[in-house]
Amino acid sequence: MILRLLGGAVHSGESFARGLANLRGRPCRLAILLFLAAPALFADAPGVYAITGGTVHPVSGPAIENGVVIIRGGLIEAVGKNDMPIPLDATNIDAKGAHVYPGLIDAQTSLGFAAPAPRRGFGGGGGGGAARRQTEETAEPTPDSLAIRNARISDDDADARRAIGVTTIITAPAAGIFNGQSVALNLGSGAIESRVIKSPAAMQVSFNPRPAWTYPDSLMGVISYIRQTLMDAQQHTAARAIYERNPSGLKRPDENPSLEALQPVLGRTLPVVFIADSEEMIRRVQRIAAEFNINYIISGAREAYAMSGDLKNVPVLVSVRWPVAPSDKDDQQDQPLRLIRFRQLAPTSPASLAKSGATFALVSGAGKTGDFLPGIRKAIKSGLSDDDALRATTLSPARIFGIDRQLGTLDKGKIANVVVSDKPIFDEKSKVTHVFVDGREIRLPKDEKKTAEAAISTSPIDGTWNVTVRASQGNVALSVTLRNEDGKLAGTYSGEIGSGDVRGGSFADGTFEFTISASAQKGAEASDWVFHGTLSGDSMNGNVSTTLGTFEFSGSKSK
Amino acid sequence: MRNHTVHLIRPSGTFAEESGRPARPREAGRMPALLDAGRRATKRQAHRVAAVLALALFCLPLLAQSTIPNNPGRKQTIVLRGGTIVPVTSAPIPNGTLVIENGKIKAFGPAGSVQMPTAAVVLDVSGQFIYPGMIDSGTNVGLVEIDSVAGTVDTTELGDLNANAQAAVAINPHSELIPVTRVNGVTNVVSVPEGGIISGQSALIQMAGWTPKEMIVKAPLAMHIRFPRLRSAPLIDVPQDEEAEKELKKSYTKDVDKLRDILRDAQAYARATGAKVKRVDRDLILEALVPVVEGRLPVIMHANLERDIRAAIQFADEFKLKMILAGAQDVARVIPELKSRNIPVLLGPILAMPQREDDPYDLLFTNAKTLYDNGIKFAIQTSEAQNARNLPYHAGSCAAFGLPKDVALKSITIFPAEIFGVADQIGSIDVGKVANVIVTDGDPLEFRTNVKRVFIGGEEISTDSRHTLLYEKFKARP
Amino acid sequence: MSKTYVIPSVARNLGGWGTRYEHGRTTRAPAPSLTLGMTLLLLALPAFAQERVILIKNATILTITNGRIENGSVLIRGSKIAAVGKDIAAPANAQVIDATGKFVSPGIVDTHSHTAVEGSVNEISLPNTGMVRIADVLTADDISAYRQLAGGTTTALVLHGSANSIGGQSQIVKWKWGHPIAEWPVQGAPRTIKFALGENPKSANFRPPEGTPRQYPATRMGVEEVIRQSFTDARDYMAAWDEYDAKKKRNETAIPPRRDLLMETMADILRGNIDVHSHCYRSDEILMLLNLGDELGFKVRELQHVLEGYKVAREIAAHGTGGGTFIDWWGFKAEAYDATPYNVALMVKNGVLTSVNSDSDELARHLNHDAAKSMKYGGLTEDEALRLNTINPATQLRLEKRIGSIEAGKDADLVIWTGHPLSVYSRVDTTMIEGEILFDRAKDLQQRDALKREKDERLKKEADEAKKDKGGKEKKDA
Repeated sequence: MILRLLGGAVHSGESFARGLANLRGRPCRLAILLFLAAPALFADAPGVYAITGGTVHPVSGPAIENGVVIIRGGLIEAVGKNDMPIPLDATNIDAKGAHVYPGLIDAQTSLGFAAPAPRRGFGGGGGGGAARRQTEETAEPTPDSLAIRNARISDDDADARRAIGVTTIITAPAAGIFNGQSVALNLGSGAIESRVIKSPAAMQVSFNPRPAWTYPDSLMGVISYIRQTLMDAQQHTAARAIYERNPSGLKRPDENPSLEALQPVLGRTLPVVFIADSEEMIRRVQRIAAEFNINYIISGAREAYAMSGDLKNVPVLVSVRWPVAPSDKDDQQDQPLRLIRFRQLAPTSPASLAKSGATFALVSGAGKTGDFLPGIRKAIKSGLSDDDALRATTLSPARIFGIDRQLGTLDKGKIANVVVSDKPIFDEKSKVTHVFVDGREIRLPKDEKKTAEAAISTSPIDGTWNVTVRASQGNVALSVTLRNEDGKLAGTYSGEIGSGDVRGGSFADGTFEFTISASAQKGAEASDWVFHGTLSGDSMNGNVSTTLGTFEFSGSKSK
Repeated sequence: MRNHTVHLIRPSGTFAEESGRPARPREAGRMPALLDAGRRATKRQAHRVAAVLALALFCLPLLAQSTIPNNPGRKQTIVLRGGTIVPVTSAPIPNGTLVIENGKIKAFGPAGSVQMPTAAVVLDVSGQFIYPGMIDSGTNVGLVEIDSVAGTVDTTELGDLNANAQAAVAINPHSELIPVTRVNGVTNVVSVPEGGIISGQSALIQMAGWTPKEMIVKAPLAMHIRFPRLRSAPLIDVPQDEEAEKELKKSYTKDVDKLRDILRDAQAYARATGAKVKRVDRDLILEALVPVVEGRLPVIMHANLERDIRAAIQFADEFKLKMILAGAQDVARVIPELKSRNIPVLLGPILAMPQREDDPYDLLFTNAKTLYDNGIKFAIQTSEAQNARNLPYHAGSCAAFGLPKDVALKSITIFPAEIFGVADQIGSIDVGKVANVIVTDGDPLEFRTNVKRVFIGGEEISTDSRHTLLYEKFKARP
Repeated sequence: MSKTYVIPSVARNLGGWGTRYEHGRTTRAPAPSLTLGMTLLLLALPAFAQERVILIKNATILTITNGRIENGSVLIRGSKIAAVGKDIAAPANAQVIDATGKFVSPGIVDTHSHTAVEGSVNEISLPNTGMVRIADVLTADDISAYRQLAGGTTTALVLHGSANSIGGQSQIVKWKWGHPIAEWPVQGAPRTIKFALGENPKSANFRPPEGTPRQYPATRMGVEEVIRQSFTDARDYMAAWDEYDAKKKRNETAIPPRRDLLMETMADILRGNIDVHSHCYRSDEILMLLNLGDELGFKVRELQHVLEGYKVAREIAAHGTGGGTFIDWWGFKAEAYDATPYNVALMVKNGVLTSVNSDSDELARHLNHDAAKSMKYGGLTEDEALRLNTINPATQLRLEKRIGSIEAGKDADLVIWTGHPLSVYSRVDTTMIEGEILFDRAKDLQQRDALKREKDERLKKEADEAKKDKGGKEKKDA
C-alpha cells in the first residue's frame, strides 16, 4: 500500500537507487520520508530470517538435523543446532521435515543471451537467408565482450531457475568462438550490477565454426584462429611493452581492445572456460592451454568418464544435458554402438571424476532449465553420491570460479543464498519451498513444477484418476492411471476389484474407452469391465459395461 | 562417388545408390565417313586407325561426339575356334568351336563336333576364352557424359512422378562411355533414369548400334521407383530439432501417399479405359502406369535400408506389383519376405560402403552369397556410368567373400537375362541366342585379364575407346 | 564398466597387447574400474611389447624390393621386421602364424585420404588456408580406418580438402584403430601441405549460398596468382623477420613482427620443411605449378590425382615429382574427361614415381584393385603394379626407409592375403601395424555376435529403465 505511495518505480532497483540519491540531497526531508517509506523499503530489503527445524546441509560440514540458519542483512548470520538463540526480530521460517541448502550454482549457462543462429552449412541448403538475418541480429561476441553488459535475463527465466533451487548462475553467450567474459550473477531482484558476484568470471571459448565461406568455417580453422589470436595477444603485449619503454623511433603499435582483453588470460589471472565435450576435444584443449600456458576450465566434458584420471589437474564443468536415445526402434538399432555406449556411460562421468579426486561442477550447459535437476539425478543414479552432487552444485563451482569466500556453503558471513526443499533436493519428488537470494526471500511462482510437468505431458487424460462406479450393489472405488500413447491408452488400475494393466484403451477427441479385469472379491473369477466415457478438464464420466449390467461412473484427476 | 574428390562436403562414408550416382550426360553425333568401311581391323590396323582418329579427336572441342568406330553393320558368318568356350549355362568346352551366323549363335561345341559353315571368317582364338558378354543390371550409360556438366546430363527429370519418362528416347549412341564400357566385355546394360519417386522407365540396351533403336534390346524394361525414405542415411546422432523431425515424418508420409494416390489413379484409369463405355481424356503418366498396376511391367524398387525395403515390399503387396528390388544393402535382413514373394534382387553397387558404422565391413561383399545360399534370384549392378566397365570386379568381389566363382559370373550374365525376361536372347552362349560374345585371355573377373575381341549382335566391334586412343596418342609423344 | 566393452579374449588370443579393434569403436577402457590385476598387467605391458615375437611361415612373401619368396617366412620382433627368408626357425617364444597358401605383402600406403577427420576437411573461407592443420582434428572414431585395415591399408596421408589453391597442412598417419588418436600420426614423418589446382579452387562446381560473395579465384590464372602472391608475401615476411633479427643483434630497439601462422607455413615450404602435395588434373596446370616452383623456390613432392600426368610425364619426372592417381575414374567433371586408365603405365614408363591412391573411404578398402588394373591398362608387370601400392607411395611420403617393403629393420606393417593381392578373388585375413595385429578376419567374425548382443542388451536396459521410470512415476502419482 505504501509502496504505491512511492510509486511503482520502487520495484526497479535502479530507480530505487536514484531515489535514495535524491533523498541524500535533501536531508531536511529525509527523516520524514524515511519514516514514511521505512516499511516499504525494508519489506523487500534483506531482512532477518530464522530457518528452523529443518535438516541443514552446510556443505562445509556434516548435515545438521533440526538445524537453524539465521539470515540478516543479506548475509548468513549464523548456522547451528536448534539450541542456538533465535533473534527476536527474525521472521521464522518453519522448515520442519524440510532440507536447507546453500543456493545452487549453475556455472555454465547462456541465460540472457539469444541462442546462436543455426550454422549455415556448405552449399547453403535450407534457408540461408533466415540464417543470415539471425546472424546479423546477433553480432558475434569478442574477447572484450562483457556478459554483464549484454545479459538480458527475463523474470520467467530467473523464476524457472530459482524454482529448482538455483540462486547463482555464470553466464556468457554461446555464440561465436571467443564468447567473451562471463559473469557470475545472483538470481535476485534489482539491477544487474547489484547482483554481480564476479565479473569477469572467466573468458569463454567455444569451438564453433563460422558459416561456410567465413574464416574459420571448419573445426581445424577454429583451432588455428584461437592459436593465432592468442599469439597476437602475446605479440601485442610485447610490442606495447617495448613501445612504452621508449617510443622514439618506433612505429606505434595499434590499439586493440580484443587483444587487450586477453592480457589477464596470458597473465593467468583470468581462467578460460573451453567448451569441450568429447575426450578428443578435451585433449585438443589441453594442447592449446599448454602451448600458451593458460589457466583453464573444461566445460561440457560428457566423455570425462573415459579420461577422468587425466582431469585431476583441471577443473571440469560437466554438462548434465545427457545424450538421449532416439524414439524410433529402427533408429535405435541403426545408431552406432559407440554412441549407445556414450549415451549410457556419459552420466557416469561425474561419479568417475569424483572417484579420481578431480574438481568438478555439474552444470546445465546448453540444456534447458527443466533438464538440470533430472540431469543431476541421473548422475546420482549413475554412481555419484548425493553429497558429491551437492558439492558439485555449490562449493565446487564457487571454488572453480574463485567465489567460494562468498558463496557455496552455509557459513557465517557468506552471502545468504539459501534454499529450502521439502525433501532432499535431488529427490525425484522434491519441491523447493523457499528461496533466499542475497538474504531476500524470493516468492516462487505457483506450481512452477506442476506447470512444467503438465507441459511435458501431451494428453489431458494422462494421470491418475479416482473413479467411482455406481453399481447396483453400491459404489465401487478404484484408481486408474492412464497414459495416452498415440491415441492408445495404456496404464494400470487398482482398487477393491483388484489391480492390473488397462487393456484395449483408446482416446480421441475427448472420448475414451478402456477395459479392466474386475473380480468381485479376492480370488474370484475376473470379468471384463469396459469403460466408455468422455473427458472434461479434470473430470470424466460415462458408462461401464460389466457382466452384471451397465453402470454409470465418474472420476476426477488425483492431485 | 567421384564427387569425393572434391570433398567439399565430408563424405558420409556411405554410398546410397540414389545419392551415390553422380551426375549424368549425353550428346549426339554421327560417325565420320572414314570409319564407315565396316571392316574389322586387325589390332595393328586398329592402332593405325586409332592414331589418325586420335588426331581428329583432339582437333574437336571437348564434348565432340565419339570418333570410335561403331558396329560395322555386316552380320558375317564367323567361326571362333581353338578357344575355351565358357557358355555359363553349361560346362566349359576346351578347344571349342563357335559359329556365329546372322548375328546369332548358330552352333558351338568341342572342335570337330560342330558343323562348319561353307563360307565364314575363321578366327583362331587358341589359348583364349570365349564368354557371353556381360550385362550390367543398372547403369546410367547413354544418359550421361560428364557428371558435373549439366548440359551432358539426362538422367533426372524434374518432379516426383515421371512414370512417362523413358530412358530409351534419350540414349546417346555416340557417347564415349559406350566404347569404354564394351571393351571391357560388358555388352549390355540397363540404362536407368534417376530421381524423384517414380523416376521413369529403363531400357535394356546393347553397347553397339548407330541409333538408339538399334541398341535397344527391351524397352521399357521396368518402371523405377525410388521408394520414399524416412531418412536418406541411417540415423547417427539423435536430432535435436524436434520440429524438423516431425517435418521429416510428415514429408515421408506425404511422399508415400503421393505414390499410392497415383497408382490408385492408374488403377481407375485402367478400369475406365478398359471398360470402353465412356471416352476418357488421355493421361500419359497414368497410361505409363497401367502396365505397372496390371502387373505386366515390373517395378524396380530402389531401397537399401531395411525399413525402406520393408515399406517397399508392403507397398508392392498392396498394389500386387511385379517387384524387383534394387540396391538392397540390407537384403540379408529381409530374406523370408523376398523368398515368399519370389522377388528378385539387383544387388549393388558392391564396391560401396556399408551405411551403418556397426555394419560388418564386408556386408556388401557377402550379400550376394547370402542371396545365393537362400535361393533368391539376383543379379549385380554397378549403378555406374563412366565405370560400368568395372562390373566384373563388383561380381569378383562377391566371389572373394564366398560366392562361387561360376555364380559370380552368372550374376552378370544369365541371371540378369532371366530376371529381365530376355534369357532366350542373351546372357549365355546357347544356340539361337544373340551373338554377344567376348574373347579374353583369361577369367574376365580378374583385373589382369584383357578382352581381346568383342562381338555384339554377331558383329565384331573395335576394341578402341577414348582411353586407348589417348594412350596411343601420348605414347607416341615425340 | 570397462568389462562391458573391452573384449579381453582379443589381446590374449592374438598375443598383441592392447589389441582392441572391435569394430564398434576404439575402446578407451575407463581407468577407474580396472582391477588391480589389470593394472599390473598394463604396467607390465611396455616390457611385454618389446618381447613380442611373431613368425609368419609357409607364405608367399611379396617383398617388393627383393622379389617374391615362395614358402617364405617373416620374423617380427617388437614393432619391426627382424628377418625375411626361406628358412627361419621359430624362436622359442614366438607366436607362429601358419600362412600356407597365403600371400604376405607390406601394408598398403594411401597418399590421399580424408579419413578420421573431425569436422570439415575443407577450411573453405580463404584462397590460402595454410595455417590450419589436419593434425589438430584427427579422430580415432572413424570406422573407415578399421575398414581400411580390413582392406590391407595401413598408412595414409590425411589431406586437407581441395577447395582452395593452398589448403591446410596434412598429416601422415597409420590406422592404429583402437589406439588413442595421439598414437596415429607417424612420428618423424615429414610435414606436408595440400595445394589444389583447377576446378575446385576456382569453385567451378559449387557456389556459396546466395548472398555470400564468390571467392577469388575463378580461373586457372587466378589460382596461379594466389600461389605466386602467397610465396611473394612469405618472402617479405621472412625478410621482415631477418631485419628484426639483425636489429636485435645490433642491440637496437625493435618491435618484433607479428608471428603469422599462415606466413610461417609458407616460409617453411620455402625452407624445404614442408612437402607440397598438390591436387591437379590438367596437364597445363601441372606444368604451371612445376614451373612456378622452379621460379619461386619450392618443390612439389607429389602431384595428386594428376589425371593428365601422362601428357607431361616427362616433365614431371624431370622435376623429381611423384604422381598419385586413381586408376580409372574419369568423366566426373570436365577436367577429368581426358583421364585414362593408361595414365599410370605412361607415367611409370616415363620414370615418374607413381602410386595409386584413394581420396575415398571406400576405394581405400581395395587399393590393390587399382594397382592390379595397371597390368591390364598399359601392361605393367606384377612387380611394378605392387609398387604402386607400397614402396612408391612410401617414397612419396619419404618413409621408404621405414615402410613399403618387407625388409629386416622396417616397420612390421604387414598384410596376410588369402591369395595374390592382385587377384579379385583375394581378401585380407590379417593386417598388422608395427607388429600388432589390428585386423583379423577370424576375430572380426567372432566378435560380430558379441557386439550385436551388447547393443541389444544396452537397448533393452534402456527400454526397461524407461518403462520403470514411467511406471514409478505413475505409482507415485497414485
